[in-house]
Amino acid sequence: MLDLILCVDDDPITLMLCKMVIAKSAFAKEIVTAQNGEEAINYFDELKLNNLGADITKYPALIFLDLNMPVMGGWEFLDHFSQVSYAPLFPKTKVLVLSSTIDPKDIEKSKTYPMVIDFLSKPITKEMLNDLRSMF
Amino acid sequence: MKNKVNKISLIFVIFLMFLAILSHKLLIHFFTGNNYQTYSLSANLTIILISGIIFNYIISKNNIRSNKIFEKLRQNNEEIKASNERYDIVAKATSDTIWDWQILNDDFIWNKGIQGVFGYKKEDVGETSKWWFDRIHPEDSIKMSIKLYSFIEQKTEKWQDEYRFKCADGSYKYVFDRGFLVKDDYGNAIRMIGAIQDITKQKEEEQRLKLLETVITQTKDSVIITEAERSNRAIPKIVFVNPAFSEMTGFEASEVIGKSPTIFMGRRSVKNEISKLSKALRRKEEFKFETLNHRKDGGEYWVNFSMIPITNKEGEHSHWISIQRDISEEKKQEKEKEQLIRELTQNNKDLKQFSYITSHNLRAPLSNLTGLLNLMQDIPVESPELKEILNGFSTSTHLLNETINDLVKVVIIKDNPSIQKEEVLIKDVFENVFNQLTFLISLHKPILKIELEKVTILNINKAYLESILLNLFTNAIKYRSPKRTLRIFVSSKEAGENIVLTFKDNGIGIDLERNKDKIFGLYQRFHNYPDSKGLGLYLVKSQVETMGGSISVESEVDKGTTFTITFKK
Repeated sequence: MLDLILCVDDDPITLMLCKMVIAKSAFAKEIVTAQNGEEAINYFDELKLNNLGADITKYPALIFLDLNMPVMGGWEFLDHFSQVSYAPLFPKTKVLVLSSTIDPKDIEKSKTYPMVIDFLSKPITKEMLNDLRSMF
Repeated sequence: MKNKVNKISLIFVIFLMFLAILSHKLLIHFFTGNNYQTYSLSANLTIILISGIIFNYIISKNNIRSNKIFEKLRQNNEEIKASNERYDIVAKATSDTIWDWQILNDDFIWNKGIQGVFGYKKEDVGETSKWWFDRIHPEDSIKMSIKLYSFIEQKTEKWQDEYRFKCADGSYKYVFDRGFLVKDDYGNAIRMIGAIQDITKQKEEEQRLKLLETVITQTKDSVIITEAERSNRAIPKIVFVNPAFSEMTGFEASEVIGKSPTIFMGRRSVKNEISKLSKALRRKEEFKFETLNHRKDGGEYWVNFSMIPITNKEGEHSHWISIQRDISEEKKQEKEKEQLIRELTQNNKDLKQFSYITSHNLRAPLSNLTGLLNLMQDIPVESPELKEILNGFSTSTHLLNETINDLVKVVIIKDNPSIQKEEVLIKDVFENVFNQLTFLISLHKPILKIELEKVTILNINKAYLESILLNLFTNAIKYRSPKRTLRIFVSSKEAGENIVLTFKDNGIGIDLERNKDKIFGLYQRFHNYPDSKGLGLYLVKSQVETMGGSISVESEVDKGTTFTITFKK
């Protein structure tokens, strides 16, 4: 069971579903949510502020990331998060793109980010989480 | 001559009579009275002697003159003979046909040319001028005879004419006829001699050249002929332009002849091509380019410019021929086409984006519904009514999900015309399909007969082929006849350049007469089955066509359906 994961999605129902399925399949102890990329970045900024100078020990091992979101979308978040001010500080964080998109280009694009481990279609299911478990 | 003879005889007689009287008077003094006989004899002798002397003198003189005349005649004769020989030789040597016309008695004589050139037999050749006139082409005869008669009546000084003369085989030859008149002492034309030259070849060549010339003068392409440059640096001078040139550039021929082509080739337009052009000029090579040029009045036009070196008989480069075609219209159409393609591409892109967004926005809440329903499965529901409602809710959600997933497949197929292809063993594909269909097959237990040629490898997309077979199998099972056991026959074989997949069942069939156009259409359903969405065959056809294949169907109601899929090897 993972200690902490982050779900980023603008749809509150989806977030609720995520929380319920993750809780049911005992995939993670704690779930943090963000409604868009910016909120997620803010969350990581806060982690940095709270651990000034020291190594950050408690941070999400996995991010469930939606692509189409207002304010800051999934791609923009990935671009930010790939920068030196984030990625080296959170080396264990993996990203799983969870989207309703059918655009084949999106799948291709997601492969260019090293922290993205997979691209899966919604909805999140218990089977999906069982498969994921083996990767951690 | 007769007069002269009479005159001489008369003078001779008178002289003799005078001599007789004179000698009588003289002798009478010597012979008086008695010696009459002697006198008479001597007088006669004297007269005979003297007349003999005179006679001798006259005859000898006459003889000399006769000899002179004879000599002269002989000479004349020789000359005439030589002249005749010369005439014969010339007549033989010349290719001309000579005719000789005695005008007064209309006696017309031809030389051998009439046989050699025009093919008449000796006995066929007429001896009057009518025979000549009859063989002149009707279109030429009036004009020709007017000129000829005005010449005979000596209104004109010279006669020569061109006309068509009929040959023995009925064809006409173009001839050039020249003649002169022989006049009598009073200046009347009594004889005419002419020489006919066969100019058919020249005439045909002339007509051919005229025809060729019309190509240059009538064409819409502008044609320019320039001299080959004398020195390496000089730009060749224009020696000819056709009317289309003036039409195209606005320059009159007189304005450009003798000048360099740069006068009408805008510096700006040729700038890009200048190095290519000068290289070709140096190497005397053909070259062409397209450029935007300017008319004399400044108007722009697109031109396809080509220049070809031509050589004289000796094979030396003598001139350049340059042809310019106005391609403004083509350029315009090309531009419009490009614009249209750009717009269509943009439209297509927009529509694609629209379909992605729509599908995304549909799928997002749908996935939530599915997720929520999945969660609900674990929660016990007490109320049977609520349970029924939730079941309906679940069925509808799954159906909606399937529909949207199928539609998404369609969108993605349409979006990927150049799908990745690979070598696929059909046998492997069938195994995959059967694995997915295990449940249905064990449920309905169809009789399957599958004949796959061993080494059938298709250059196609594996996932698509699986989807195609899956769709056809599920259709066959779904639309089986309740009256008999389902039989499915599948075969694959090579047929020339193609691989043919046949898929045959004995199901309920489709009424093709009514539905021929619709069978592969989107949302076309032929049987009122609850789980038929009208997407399967549309998807099959899309996938087949995306891989460059084709699909056809034969079906009979309550007998069965056969699909034939053809792929290129």
